[in-house]
Amino acid sequence: MEEWIQQAQVWAGQAESWVRQQPPEQIYVAAAVVAITILVLIAASCLKSSKPNTIVLSGLNGSGKTTLFYQLRDGSSHQGTVTSMEENSDTFVLHSEQERKGKVKPVHVVDVPGHARLKTKLDEFLPRAAGVIFVVDAQDFCRACKQLQTLSSCRYLYDILTKATVVKKRVPVLIFCNKTDKVTAHSKEFIRKQLEKEINKLRESRNALSSADISDEVKLGVPGEAFNFSQCQNKVTVSEGAGLTGNVSAIEEFIREYVKA
Amino acid sequence: MPDLNPSISQLIRLSKMLEELLIFTRGGLILWSSCQALGGAVLKGSPIDALIRSCLLEERSADASFSQDNYGLKWTFHNELGLVFVAVYQRILHLLYIDDLLAAVHKEFSQIYDPKRTDYYDFTDIFRQLHLEAEARAEVMKKFKQPIVSRPSQTLSHNKTAPKVRGGENTAGGNNKKGGSGKDEDSDGGSATFEGKENSQPCVVVKRKENGGPKDNNGAFDVNKLQNLRNKKKTVPTENRAKKTKPDIKKKVNRVWDDKPSNKKLDFTDPADERGDEVTDHVLVTQGESMMDKDENVSSDSEDEEEAQDAPKKKGWFSMFQSIAGNSVLEKSDLQPALKGLKDRLMTKNVVCRGNCRKLCESVAASLEGKKLGSFTRISSTVQTAMEEALLRILTPRRSIDILRDVQSAKERGRPYVIVFVGVNGVGKSTNLAKVAYWLLQHNLSVTLAACDTFRSGAVEQLRTHARRLQIPIFEKGYEKDPAVVAKEAIQDASRNKSDVVLVDTAGRMQDNEPLMRALSKLINLNNPDLVLFVGEALVGNDAVDQLTKFNQKLADLSSVPTARLIDGILLTKFDTIDDKVGAALSMVYISGAPVMFVGCGQSYTDLKKLNVKSIVKTLLK
Repeated sequence: MEEWIQQAQVWAGQAESWVRQQPPEQIYVAAAVVAITILVLIAASCLKSSKPNTIVLSGLNGSGKTTLFYQLRDGSSHQGTVTSMEENSDTFVLHSEQERKGKVKPVHVVDVPGHARLKTKLDEFLPRAAGVIFVVDAQDFCRACKQLQTLSSCRYLYDILTKATVVKKRVPVLIFCNKTDKVTAHSKEFIRKQLEKEINKLRESRNALSSADISDEVKLGVPGEAFNFSQCQNKVTVSEGAGLTGNVSAIEEFIREYVKA
Repeated sequence: MPDLNPSISQLIRLSKMLEELLIFTRGGLILWSSCQALGGAVLKGSPIDALIRSCLLEERSADASFSQDNYGLKWTFHNELGLVFVAVYQRILHLLYIDDLLAAVHKEFSQIYDPKRTDYYDFTDIFRQLHLEAEARAEVMKKFKQPIVSRPSQTLSHNKTAPKVRGGENTAGGNNKKGGSGKDEDSDGGSATFEGKENSQPCVVVKRKENGGPKDNNGAFDVNKLQNLRNKKKTVPTENRAKKTKPDIKKKVNRVWDDKPSNKKLDFTDPADERGDEVTDHVLVTQGESMMDKDENVSSDSEDEEEAQDAPKKKGWFSMFQSIAGNSVLEKSDLQPALKGLKDRLMTKNVVCRGNCRKLCESVAASLEGKKLGSFTRISSTVQTAMEEALLRILTPRRSIDILRDVQSAKERGRPYVIVFVGVNGVGKSTNLAKVAYWLLQHNLSVTLAACDTFRSGAVEQLRTHARRLQIPIFEKGYEKDPAVVAKEAIQDASRNKSDVVLVDTAGRMQDNEPLMRALSKLINLNNPDLVLFVGEALVGNDAVDQLTKFNQKLADLSSVPTARLIDGILLTKFDTIDDKVGAALSMVYISGAPVMFVGCGQSYTDLKKLNVKSIVKTLLK
């Protein structure tokens, strides 16, 4: 160990004397170049991180997120899907726009699993989201919302809408009613009204409880009035379509609106 | 071609037995399905989804098989590529070649897999071939195995197809016994293999490495320890009964815990007259805010620099460079020391080791095997991260644990929300019932207590005292009455009085006590409560597993309806008495699948908390 230290000291001495021998201007120029490079890198990374371009697909399990993901990417859902155990994340050009001439910016889409045990994965992706698509199963909606014990759609949506990151950054939310190709699917107006009603109830029960809120939650809407999606600070829209048949134009418009080409 | 016909007919015969072989990514996309490729009946129900939801996501992926309706399922993973291979067959048929076939399919498919491709129609031919080969091999094995079947403890360790045989593998013994009773057998390899076929799945291999023999100094599955366990079980019931008479012998010393203000008033006896009648003027007890509503701040920087001290890498310099360069693929042998270290750590934290610790570690190993190490990561840190994720997944509740919202929904339906507290003797049901009542009162809900513990002397008076201090109504019928009937009447009474919540206290009972369990089952079935809360103490050791499984089993068996009510939630008590040995929480949740809804951490009304999953995981792996 001693030898190493001595050797290092000798080298340091040699480097110092070499540096002293150079003319001062060169040293200043070198230092300036290094400083400018560092500044440029910092600026570039700052700029890059302030523009998130991730679209997050979320919703209960079984609502059709993975199908939609593959529809957006490849135009077909291939041979079917099963319950996702991990998220699907990919950066691609939307399938319908692949034929467009000119430069098309790829979007980064993340399909977060909807199973209750994997709910923590959503928190990983929400901070970087440019938009959230909340997929609702239009066919199964009534049953999903009324369940006392399971994490229903309404509660999930409420949790997303009250997350601090979503509200602060005004992340737009699209509520997509999936599976409208089925005969027993509800209309988007019905779903919208039901969601507003349930969220209103949740909001009121939360207000009626003690003032000790969970720190991450934000109060929704205007107190005293029935809850309406237009009261949210971030923009919330409702649309419908079907993943299996390829009717996903509403999603594509939403994506294009928020991730500029 | 003349010889094609027999193979087609053979294939048709085979395909009837193996219903489906499915290959899908972990993200959920189906890559190849034998049903769709070869034509065949679509599966009834959706067993694959059920498999994922109740097994793989519950960290039970090291189990040998899963069954749903009349389908049996077996699976294997390819962790590097993120693929899952599942075979579905009729459960009544014992197909010997499934594991073999899965291994072969695994190997072949990984060679043609490409992340960009999404259709693999060319795999159909390869699959047909593999299927025939596997069946042929199984036929040969069956003929060969006939004379050996008389020795059930030994098994075939030779196998033509799976090259990763470790010497002296003992698998058939594990079929019947749990928790090895033989000295030389690895009978708690646990995984039920089909008649001694070498299991190509990772789970069996793990245990063999560890149990060198009974005199191993890790002593995990020491025979002596297991015998002590059996003796301990016998003494537990007597201990519990003795516990009841103990408290009045102990001297009352003013106990001060770390960060609680000391209670000046020690004598809580109310100035009642000698007959114990109620004194009418009582001020409602307010002891401040219940800790359920306080937010716990978890420090987000969890950089713990502690290394796992016991990771003896005997491979030398080259392996170190390899791990830095990031090219090494994780092998079973690499994972062993790290997993063992983690398992020991978990065991010191009071996680039940008898089956679940091992299953959990195997499940984590199954999910890591074959993965490439990232550059600059050590094996122990990869294993640690994987284990943390697995623990987080287990402890994250599958259903909503927000009682308040459920109570609101029940309120709208116009009936009271009924919670039943069950558990063994002496865990703290009545105390914690009072704490829950206090918390609910703080949220402006009207609570009624139902004294259905009609057995233990003093139980009704205890509840009466609590009710008096909290100023809530109590429904009681005295002693020696049928608890189910008392509960029913209590609920009717509560709905007449427009009460929001009914808390039903039951007598403590041992899980082996058949008549008492029957009585409990009757109470639950008759009244159909909204929440069945199992009260368990955090001090409990291996008995936790037994308690929960037996309770659930009895509730399921003795119920008269097909969809039996099982335990919906867990209330963990006496949490303040364990410092960081928080493993009971993990064991209970893993066994029963029910989330921990409350944590009792003291004996006053405010000592009720929510379970902080992240801090528990951190404490477990510290």
